[in-house]
Amino acid sequence: MQGRQKSSTPEHKGDLAAHGGVLSMSHNDTRSFFNFSQLGLSTGNAKSSPVLKHSKITYFEVEILDVHSKKQICIVDKVSPSSTLLDVKHKFHKACPQWYPSRVGLQLERNGPYLKDSINIQSLAVSSIITLYFTDLGQQVSWTTFFLIEYTGPLLIYLLFYIRLSTIYDQLESKKNFRHPVVHLACFCHCLHYIRHLLETLFVHKFSGGHTPLKNMIKGCAFYWGFTSWIAYYINHPRYTPPSFGHRQVSFAALAFLTCEAGNHFINVALAHQNHSGNKACFPSPTYNPFTWLFLLVSCPNYTYEVGSWISFTVMTQTLPVGIFAFLMVIQMSLWAQKKHKQYLKRFYPEVRRKAAMIPVIF
Amino acid sequence: MAASGSGGSRADNGYGSQQPRRRKGPGALATAYLVIYNVVMTAGWLVIAVGLVRAYLAKGSYHSLYYSIEKPLKFFQTGALLEILHCAFGIVPSSVVLTAFQVMSRVFLTWAVTHSVKEVQSEDSVLLFVVAWTVTEIIRYSFYTFSLLNHLPYLIKWARYTLFIVLYPMGVSGELLTIYAALPFVRQSGLYSISLPNEYNFSFDYYTFLILVMISYIPIFPQLYFHMLHQRRKVLSHTEEHKKSE
Repeated sequence: MQGRQKSSTPEHKGDLAAHGGVLSMSHNDTRSFFNFSQLGLSTGNAKSSPVLKHSKITYFEVEILDVHSKKQICIVDKVSPSSTLLDVKHKFHKACPQWYPSRVGLQLERNGPYLKDSINIQSLAVSSIITLYFTDLGQQVSWTTFFLIEYTGPLLIYLLFYIRLSTIYDQLESKKNFRHPVVHLACFCHCLHYIRHLLETLFVHKFSGGHTPLKNMIKGCAFYWGFTSWIAYYINHPRYTPPSFGHRQVSFAALAFLTCEAGNHFINVALAHQNHSGNKACFPSPTYNPFTWLFLLVSCPNYTYEVGSWISFTVMTQTLPVGIFAFLMVIQMSLWAQKKHKQYLKRFYPEVRRKAAMIPVIF
Repeated sequence: MAASGSGGSRADNGYGSQQPRRRKGPGALATAYLVIYNVVMTAGWLVIAVGLVRAYLAKGSYHSLYYSIEKPLKFFQTGALLEILHCAFGIVPSSVVLTAFQVMSRVFLTWAVTHSVKEVQSEDSVLLFVVAWTVTEIIRYSFYTFSLLNHLPYLIKWARYTLFIVLYPMGVSGELLTIYAALPFVRQSGLYSISLPNEYNFSFDYYTFLILVMISYIPIFPQLYFHMLHQRRKVLSHTEEHKKSE
């Protein structure tokens, strides 16, 4: 009998709650009876919420429509006002298991922006039913996975070319030719660059976004892996021509490369520290470390150092394909630096005003 | 390749495309400039068409007609590069990348294949794509002219969205056959190719590049073709509804 009572009352409670405060305001008798019955049952029902008197929690219902067909997919009910959009997404995932939360894009209007996961349901509500439009954002992949795959590829691909697989290069020529030391140095530098990136992804960076569509990963990987194959082919070719200015050019470029790598690393550590300590209120400041002094001149020194690495690598190997790759990286990094610089200008106006985005003084 | 795709989005903006952002139309000065540009281009391609007909009548055969229209073809096809600037400056609401891609493929065929490999100029495939381009461009530029002046005759719109069904495959076949014919000559002369070893550690094989270009037609052509078919259904059915409602 208690079981039967247990099953009937939640519906009754839900019914009243669904009609919002309207019923309870006009039917005070019903409300007091409801409270009384609640009291009686709360002793037996361990799972009841500690709602005893004045139980006016208005649960919301979230109606989810497909953005293209406007058809209703499902209704998520019993959404408490203090929950966030992420909770709604989890409930939606339970109802429709093929769409896990990171893949779900919810908008208030059909052409509006996607709502953030941290948004409170209360702030969206105009009535007790909230209508949201659902878009399938496609297969998602976490940022860590994204970067790990993107950086492991070039590391391995370059080594494949370095060991001079017989299918790529003519074996006879490969055995005959003496390899200039710069080829070994280039391999070392290239591997160093990507190993550093991988270690930073694993131990240093803290990703705020969470996920990115699979398509982005495929595009990024195609770009990095494709270009690495292209540059590795020429540097490790039996007919490779060493730089025109000989050892001086190589040593100078190698030094510049190592400096930029160290700089990049320290900047990333500094940015991660800042994220970690939660001190996002001010622009990262230079410390005793000379590599971080670039913060005084430029707002995105990590991009500056990355660009510097690739340009030094180009000079070190004197290979046109590396130059083309470096040029494309410069363009990409400049776009990212400009975007970030604009964000910084909005947030930290007085400090960042006289700084350049990526290249000191110039840009 | 038919550059007719680039204008499709432009025309459709007035026909209820579902873009929430409102694109500002070009100002009066820009419109005047565009009208002049499109009229000049229409006239130019008409000159090429007339030149072809006259040469055919004079020679009696349709072989080697390329030589009679070589100069205007080069001039007006290269002039289409201005369209990329139009998109970049925003006076034409098309995507820069798409337009650049289409114009560059035409310019590539005109200069890097037909002009550079002289032995190919007497091939019949050249006539095939020149005719396809001529008819397409005349219709396309007159379409733009009339729509800028807001007096688009249905015939031109119909022609633009229907004739491509024949002209586009015709043009693509002509282009592919021309590139294929050019291959042995490129291999023989080592045209535009660099080999190792050299100071900048770079190599480029034009022969392989041309083969890759030919292969790239396989994914790209169907996409553009079906896109145009889709546009056709959208635009021509819209007009019918419009007419019915009147």
